[in-house]
Formats: sequence, C-alpha cells, structure tokens
Amino acid sequence: MVCRKEEKFLAYILVLPAVAILGILTLYPFGFMIYLSFHRWKASLPQIPKSFVGLSHFTRLFQDEFFWSAMSVTFRFLVFVVTIEFFLGLFLALILTRDVKGKSIIRTLFLLPMMLAPVAVGLIWRFILNDKVGILNYFFSVIHLPSQSWLGDVHTALGAIMLIDIWQWTPFMILVLLAGLQSLPEEPFEAAKIDGASAWQTFRFITLPLLKPAILIALLFRTIDAYRIFDIIFVTTYGGPVRSTEPLSLYVYRNGFRHYDMGYTAALSLIMLIIIIAISQGYLKLMARGE
Amino acid sequence: MRHIKSKTNWFNVITYIVIALFLFFFIFPIFWVISTSLKTRVQTFSIPPVWIFKPTLQSYKTIFSEILFSHYLINSTIIAILNTILVVFIGSLAAYSIARFKTGGTNLSFWILSIRMVPPIVVTVPLFIAFDKLRMIDNHLTLILLYTTFNLPLAIWMMRAFFMEIPEELEESAMIDGCSRMQALWKIVFPLARPGIAATAILCFIFAWNEFLFALIFTRIVAKTAPLALTSLMTEREIYWGRICAGATIVILPVIIFSLIVQKHIVRGLTFGAMK
Repeated sequence: MVCRKEEKFLAYILVLPAVAILGILTLYPFGFMIYLSFHRWKASLPQIPKSFVGLSHFTRLFQDEFFWSAMSVTFRFLVFVVTIEFFLGLFLALILTRDVKGKSIIRTLFLLPMMLAPVAVGLIWRFILNDKVGILNYFFSVIHLPSQSWLGDVHTALGAIMLIDIWQWTPFMILVLLAGLQSLPEEPFEAAKIDGASAWQTFRFITLPLLKPAILIALLFRTIDAYRIFDIIFVTTYGGPVRSTEPLSLYVYRNGFRHYDMGYTAALSLIMLIIIIAISQGYLKLMARGE
Repeated sequence: MRHIKSKTNWFNVITYIVIALFLFFFIFPIFWVISTSLKTRVQTFSIPPVWIFKPTLQSYKTIFSEILFSHYLINSTIIAILNTILVVFIGSLAAYSIARFKTGGTNLSFWILSIRMVPPIVVTVPLFIAFDKLRMIDNHLTLILLYTTFNLPLAIWMMRAFFMEIPEELEESAMIDGCSRMQALWKIVFPLARPGIAATAILCFIFAWNEFLFALIFTRIVAKTAPLALTSLMTEREIYWGRICAGATIVILPVIIFSLIVQKHIVRGLTFGAMK
C-alpha cells in the first residue's frame, strides 16, 4: 500500500520491452505500407524515385482479374475448410466425451497433425497425392477407382489443398470443442434429464448455447489462419494449375517478391489486412454479445 | 432390458469404428512419411507399396552429405532457441504486469491480441525494405526479431492466464515480510509459474521451428532454416521422395516429442489462454 506510485511505474517498465519490440515491428510496417500504397516504386529499379500516384493502385486493384481470382480462391477455401472442420470437429468431440476406452491416448494422437510444420505437411501430402507413386491412387486402384493427378488438375487441385488443411486443422477444432464440452456445468443437463428432454433437445437447447463461446473462439482462430494460407500451397501447387489455387497471400508474395512492384503490393496488402480485421471484428462482436 | 443393452452395444461398436477410421486418417500420413524415409530409392517408387522392408538410413546420409542439411538444422535450432529465450523473458514480464496491474487496460491487451490477426505476408514488403536498408537480409538476428511478431503475443496471452491463477496473497505476504515486488516476482511468482513458463517456451520453440514464410523472404543461404531447405530437396528434374521424407521426418520428430510433453497446455496456447 505504501508504494502505489512506485508500483505503477514498475508496471510500465515491465511491459515496455514487449511493447517497444511489437510497436516497432508492427506500427512501422503498417505506416510504411500506407505510404507505399499511394506511390509507384519498383524494387527492381530502385534508382527511379518513388512517385505519388494517389489512388491509382486501388483503382487498378479493382480491375485486376488476378486479384479477384485470388479473392475467390481465398474465400472458397476459407468457407469450405472452416465449415467442414467445424462439423467434423464437433462430431468427433461429441464422440470423445462419451465413455470411450483409451480416450487420453486417442486425444494425444489427434493432437499431432496441427503441430507439424505446414511445409512438411504440404510435402508429405504431395507425396501421398502424387499421380504416379502416391499411395492414395494406389488405394483407389485397389477399390477399382480411376487414379487422378490430384494436385495437377484444375478441377481437383483446390479440393486436394482443402483436404490437406482439413487433415491438419480438424484436430484443433476437436480439442477446443472438447475442452469446451468438458468445462460445461452439469446442472442444466440434470435438469433437462428430469424434465424428460430428448437427446436432440438437450443438444440443441442446452449444449449448443453453452458451447457458444468455445465455438466462436475455435471459428475465429481457424478463420484467421485459413485466410492467410501460404506454406502448404507454396510447396504443393504454387498457385497452379492456371491460378486455380492462388490465394491472396500468394498473390501478394508474387507481386512483391517476383515482380518487385512494391507500391501495388502495399495496396494489395492493405486491402488484405482490412478484410481480415473486419471479419475478426464481426467475431469479437458476436463474442461480446454472448457475455 | 436386453433389447436396450444390445442397442447400446451396437452403438459402442460404431463409435469405435468411427474413431478408428479417423485415427487412421490423421495418423497414417505421419507413419507413411517416416516409413518412406527408411526405404531404399527403389522401394520408395514401388507400386504396390512395400509394407515390410529392412530399414536403411541411406536417405538421411544423402541429405546430410550432399545438401548439408545439418547447416540448416543448426540455423533453425539457434534461431528458435534464441527467439524463445527472448520472447519468454520479455513476455513473462509483460504478462505479469498485465495480469497483476492491468497495465494499459483492455486497449493494450487487445492491441497485442490483434497482432495475431495480421497475416504475416502483409508486413513482409515494408519490413523487407527496412531490413534490406539495414543490410540485415540473410541474418539470424532478423528472423529472431521477426518471430517475436507471432510468439510474443502468444507468450504474453498464455502466461497472463497462468499468472492470473497464482493467488496474489502469496506475493503480498512475501512483501509484508520485506521483499520488494521484484523479489516477490522472482522468488515466489516465477517458480510457481514454472510449468506454465516451460509450456509457453516449448510452444514458442515449435512455432519458430516450423516457420516458413519469413524464412523464405528474409534469408538466402547463411541463415536459411530447415523448413526452407526441405523445399530445395524438390528438384526440377527428379523428385527424390526418400530424401524429402527423411528431411520432413527430421523436421517433424522434435515437434512430435515436444507436443507430447506439453499436450496439456496446447489448447490453451493455441487459443491465447481463452480455453483450457
């Protein structure tokens, strides 16, 4: 009680290093990105000075068919994988809350895919999905199904990448929802039992509403990460064939580090950032409403 | 009664079948990459696949002798360890301050959380230009600093949750006995939070170890990391799947071991302390 003022000073000193590092590494790029997005500057021709171009990068962006195709890939991918992962994860989490033998070992094994380096995961699946030596085509041939060039065909490439993401991230949904299910209070369930509620009624009117915070957290994190997908696509299809698997992040990479068109890339990055901030805000509003 | 019993039995059987199918789906790829890494070159190409074979370390020997995989592994280890130390040290101080004194209020906590939402590719262009000016491209320190952008918010939020579980009375009684706040932090709080700090450190190590995008953009050869080296095993002419599987196994094995150690805390870490 004696040294309130001193404590307050100490409190700020303790957060200072973290705030300083994060401040420099996030606020600087953010400011410079906004500045660059209004300028023309090619890193491949650094001797030509930056020139102010106003909003022309943004008008170009809205007419850029590759930008719209990247948007379409990103959102088709995002909506599909997050939905499937959620329902599959919820299904498996509900199964694992039942009296299952060896539950802790099963839980541990489910944990593994999501911890692995996405690059390694991409390469592992590239091998499995390979049209000639891949084991998936072998399994298909055993049950007399035609073999496919999963990652090389325009019709299946995005689906194959979705499968890889579902493989890696469904476990995350399982574990978060399982943690949510296990922390639910028991009283409402006992009350429902006494009132003679059916299993479906209990699930629909008690489990789901109580599980809502865990569901929103799981969806928020998955949405943020699916939106930024890069590594897996980089090592499996590199956006191909014919850009059918090129999401926003890869399009940004290509413009910045293959074409060195830094001004345009900055404009693109800014739009990409604004979209995910808007989506996250939506989730946070939903969470706040529940509280 | 008997009717009901046989019904639940069937239900149980179906439950186990479903679990077994999904376990196969989630675990088989990991088994397959490890087993392929131990095959000879001919065996990796054979269809139908060889299930039983005499394991060989040939692929491992090749990646260490021909493409110097050890150089990249050492880089990955140095970068991940130093980043972890930096992040856990700075992060635990900040987390303690936020947990105990509510420093910066919700604004600071929310700002730190919002960094988690930023796709890393978005900041690469401005940061590349800056690090290029500083002549810090292909430098270990660059990656150590860049990896704080995702690990520091994680460490702060995860450890904040751990510190909040430690009763404040313990420090207060130590302070009545004459300890300063810093001494109480050092002698009472940190030792009690040790399991949490260890779990946070291991998760930070894993994420730094696995990172690819920053390594791709900010390194060339000197500071190149193992995940990046994996991609250079894919040559244009011919793909040596045995070598790729050997490299991938080396990259994923430590992560599997560490994940088993911290499995209790993984959900908490990945949700920034929101779920336990």
